[in-house]
Amino acid sequence: MKRRDLLVTIIIPVISILLSFVIGAIIIAALGASPLDALRYLWKGAFGNVRNLGTTFSRATPLIFTTLCACFAYRCGVFNLGGEGQFIIGAIAACYIATKSPLTGFPAILLCAAAGALGGGLWAGAAGLLKVYRGQNEMIITIMLNYVATLFMGVVFTNWLRDGSVPQTVAVPEETQLASFLGLRATVAFPVAVIVGILIYYFLFWTSSGFQFRAVGLNMTAAKVNGFNVRRYILMSFIVSGAIAGLGGALELLGTQLRLINGFASGYGFDGVAMALIASLHPLAGILVAIFFAALRVGSTTMQTATGVPTSVSDIIQALVIVFTVAGMAMVRLPGFRNKFLQKAGKEA
Amino acid sequence: MGSFIANLILASVRMASPLIFLSLAELYSQRAGLVNIGIEGIAAIGSLTGFLVSLVTGSPLLGVLAGALAGILVNMIFAYATITLCAEQIVYGMAINIFAPALAAFIYRVYFGSGSALVQADLMITLKSALGIKSNHFLVNLFLDQTPMVYFAFILVVLTAVYFSRTKSGLNYKAVGEYPKAAATLGINVIGIRYLACVICGALAGIGGAYLTTCYSRTYVDGNVAGRGFIALAAVIFGRWSPAGVLIACLFFGFCDALQIRLQLVNNTLPYQFFQMIPYAATILVLALIGAKKAGPKACGQPYRKEEH
Amino acid sequence: MAEDRKEILRMEHITKQFGYVYANRDVNLSVLEGEVHTLLGENGAGKSTLMNILFGLYQPTEGNIFVRGQKVRIESPSQAVKLGIGMVHQHFMLVEAMTVFENIILGDARSKGIFIDQNARRREIKELSEKYGLDADLDQPITELAVGAQQRVEILKALYRGCDILVLDEPTAALTDQETEGLFEIIKKLKGEGKSVIFISHKMREVLRISDRVTILRAGQTVETLNINDVTGEQLANKMIGRELKSSQYSKTDGNGEDAAVLDHVSYHRNFKHNGLNDVSLKVRHGEIVGIAGVDGNGQSQLAMLMTGNIAPEEGSMDLKKSKVVRFDPSGFIEQNVAHIPEDRNKAGLVGNMSVADNLVLKITKDKRFSDGNGLRLKKKAIHNYALQMQKKYDIRCSSVDQEARNLSGGNQQKIILARELEAAPDLLIAVHPTRGLDIGAARFIHDAIVKERDAGCGVLLISADFDEILEVSDRILVMFEGKIMGEFSGKNPPIEEISLAMAGK
Repeated sequence: MKRRDLLVTIIIPVISILLSFVIGAIIIAALGASPLDALRYLWKGAFGNVRNLGTTFSRATPLIFTTLCACFAYRCGVFNLGGEGQFIIGAIAACYIATKSPLTGFPAILLCAAAGALGGGLWAGAAGLLKVYRGQNEMIITIMLNYVATLFMGVVFTNWLRDGSVPQTVAVPEETQLASFLGLRATVAFPVAVIVGILIYYFLFWTSSGFQFRAVGLNMTAAKVNGFNVRRYILMSFIVSGAIAGLGGALELLGTQLRLINGFASGYGFDGVAMALIASLHPLAGILVAIFFAALRVGSTTMQTATGVPTSVSDIIQALVIVFTVAGMAMVRLPGFRNKFLQKAGKEA
Repeated sequence: MGSFIANLILASVRMASPLIFLSLAELYSQRAGLVNIGIEGIAAIGSLTGFLVSLVTGSPLLGVLAGALAGILVNMIFAYATITLCAEQIVYGMAINIFAPALAAFIYRVYFGSGSALVQADLMITLKSALGIKSNHFLVNLFLDQTPMVYFAFILVVLTAVYFSRTKSGLNYKAVGEYPKAAATLGINVIGIRYLACVICGALAGIGGAYLTTCYSRTYVDGNVAGRGFIALAAVIFGRWSPAGVLIACLFFGFCDALQIRLQLVNNTLPYQFFQMIPYAATILVLALIGAKKAGPKACGQPYRKEEH
Repeated sequence: MAEDRKEILRMEHITKQFGYVYANRDVNLSVLEGEVHTLLGENGAGKSTLMNILFGLYQPTEGNIFVRGQKVRIESPSQAVKLGIGMVHQHFMLVEAMTVFENIILGDARSKGIFIDQNARRREIKELSEKYGLDADLDQPITELAVGAQQRVEILKALYRGCDILVLDEPTAALTDQETEGLFEIIKKLKGEGKSVIFISHKMREVLRISDRVTILRAGQTVETLNINDVTGEQLANKMIGRELKSSQYSKTDGNGEDAAVLDHVSYHRNFKHNGLNDVSLKVRHGEIVGIAGVDGNGQSQLAMLMTGNIAPEEGSMDLKKSKVVRFDPSGFIEQNVAHIPEDRNKAGLVGNMSVADNLVLKITKDKRFSDGNGLRLKKKAIHNYALQMQKKYDIRCSSVDQEARNLSGGNQQKIILARELEAAPDLLIAVHPTRGLDIGAARFIHDAIVKERDAGCGVLLISADFDEILEVSDRILVMFEGKIMGEFSGKNPPIEEISLAMAGK
């Protein structure tokens, strides 16, 4: 039983990915390019050499953080769509400390990371309070907070921390920037993201609190009747998921982007939601999905240069993956499908 | 100052109109028991289609129609997944929110190439200029200096109110959102009405998006829906699922939007982004104030399966 | 007398499969014009499935239906309505957000035109309600109606659609005796007008009073169709269950143990007759089963929630093991060793998407047996082994303890809850409708376990709307009506008449 469920959670996304690529290939062919060539360059661009691999990991890092943010929150039944806002607030907090505090180097990095996590956590926690104490719909609140955070970041880079005439903040000083990871183009933020993912996995599946946390997400009433502190878990899911995103924002600033600028983090929140769903809310699977999506994005640039196929084809493929995966998972849960499947299995047995 | 307030009111009505379309889209969806948080994305595709067709044909009206059609097509994906496959509505709405804007961006890139200059299309003309009226009186501006879409939006609110409260079909429609199983036992075609709801929702959300490129701004940019689809969700909650309530909510949010633009123009000490936050902050504030009294259709968000054992 | 009447409905060799399960297997039913025909059977015997097939909600896997001699296929409720079939479901199909009037005309296709023709429709409904004595205030919202009145709206709805065959699915389950009398009057009037009524029930007294003929279903199959004049209640019961029915087999105690829980003048939402408590005082002692009898929706749910810490009283106090409860919170009650078999096992009892094993250890994952470091590392192997042990001990039938709990049958789900709650060796057990919807085998298993727990010294509060269940296991019986305790009776040779009167508020 369990093995079959596992099979479904792996097979459905794999079929969805294949299907999306088929449609992507048709689009590429319709644009007058060779799908095979395009695919080859896509692969080359993402994994073709060490340099590209590093870029892929680097692009994957922020996505891993927002994916983990979504995974964690949804496991407790909280539909936190505010990963982007929390990511941005974390980055703003880190930006202030990196550029304004006298600290540099490792202590500054630690402080930035802590401030980023704290900022993201508080930003999400505000939404959590509204949900727990005012019964508000967390989806709308967190989305609205995304816009507020993005605009607030605008204030920061156009006014408060503006770098001369250019609408962007001053850069993070060199000593406070993150070191490269194994000499790749990715920074140490990448292994940190993976470690965070492992910690979340351990918490969710190997601790009693994580067990209760998941129970709250699956059936809040039963959790309450069985004596779990539901409010505390829900608030915790907001704050911790926000902190994960905020940490991601801080590390993205210190490691890759170095400045706040228009478009920083744009779309990362919703991307994280999509990847978490494709990964069936499993944190480790989420890491793989994030790397896959990052590869598509990095590879598509090479594909565009080499074959003229626009990068937005890869956006379409990514969007299709989520459209197919969610539909596919619903389909296998349909009673009719189950029956057919069972009868077939029964005949074979 | 008089002209400030007059302009504010005029702008409120204009800014409320796309919200009205989007909120009615959501209302029709939720009244049939489908929470569709994907209307933000549907509006994006409507916006692009409206822009392209208006540009190619030179007719903004055709643009709006095309926007409606595109909205319906995209929402049929949502319909199939949530009604037939019983996928979770919220999750699928998110999928649409990711898919539809990506599609819009892709079509725009393919059509115009990547490095093209800003292309502009014609806007729909207002009744005042169509009639050739020269007066600039406030009331003339309020009632006549509007595009046909504004009148359409307000008429639609009235029609919706009549439909839900006075007609047999409207009563049946509401029953599907309240208690689909009961509706089915009375011979009401639950699945059919839910699909119909998705057609209406897709069309209205597409129109709401197309409004932005045919009546408001001359060009399409990625992200031009700017959260209006989500604000519409809040407007439906704030308006307590009634057309009149939704209208008031939209006027309020339209006012907030108009206010922020006006304030940006008169103020030059505070960073303009603070004003741009007003509609979003107002949405949070309003939701926080009205509290959690749940009043929506009972079956909202729940799939309907014919033979549930 | 049956011979001179025409047959209006015949269902032949009806079979309905859900996956591997047969809900109906080769069922035959014949209903005459102007008769009250009872479908008698236990929970899960397939009565409702058969009627849902008749009403077009389910499609039969095999079999034919004839209405007035014509072979028909009923693919939707609207087709059933066209054939003159009306149905009042056990769970009312009323839209709560609408008024009585709106509910009656919903889906109405009798007149053309877009708008609702208020005057004409109201006139028609008024005529019908006078003819059959079904009084209803058309402009009242459904939420303000009592259960009996809602049922009248349902019958009116069916009649308004012009039914000749009216199916009443367990219509008396939620009614007081008085309301049941009213319903029987209506049924007699319907019969007088030549309508056929299919009456679904498992309450023998009612069946004997109102039916002309009875068809007995057992385990999805037809047992027999009988004239009511030719049988006794006992015979019917035996045929329904398939073996001899014995009266209460459990010994009753006098209960002179220490107090396990005491409620002292407790009130909660005092003015809500159907979901409040009004000045309730009661006592549950160790080693006794206190049964709360009463029709559903007279404050029993609130009583259970209060005594498990899910809601706090507005007035009065509660003692647990002789000390006053200060904080009403489920976790505090669980620490005090209070076990709870909740009213709705799917909503409140189980986490359906978790495995059987996870549900068994739901509350005790911090226990040393199941984790190291107070919950910091779960011992999955130990949890699995424990689950296997429980599966055996409580006879939980599942393909694996890793199976999701939601896929199990109701009886096995209830056994998971039972195992979880009783393994903690509770001092107080609050069991709410513990056997609702279960077959007799599973119900007996659960009764045995509860009685065994009592004998081990646990105080048990058993809340049930099933009067027979209360009579069978309770040592002491309290009756609830509109949030109040109406009286206390001994469980040994209980005065059935008196208790029924108390249940109706007298």
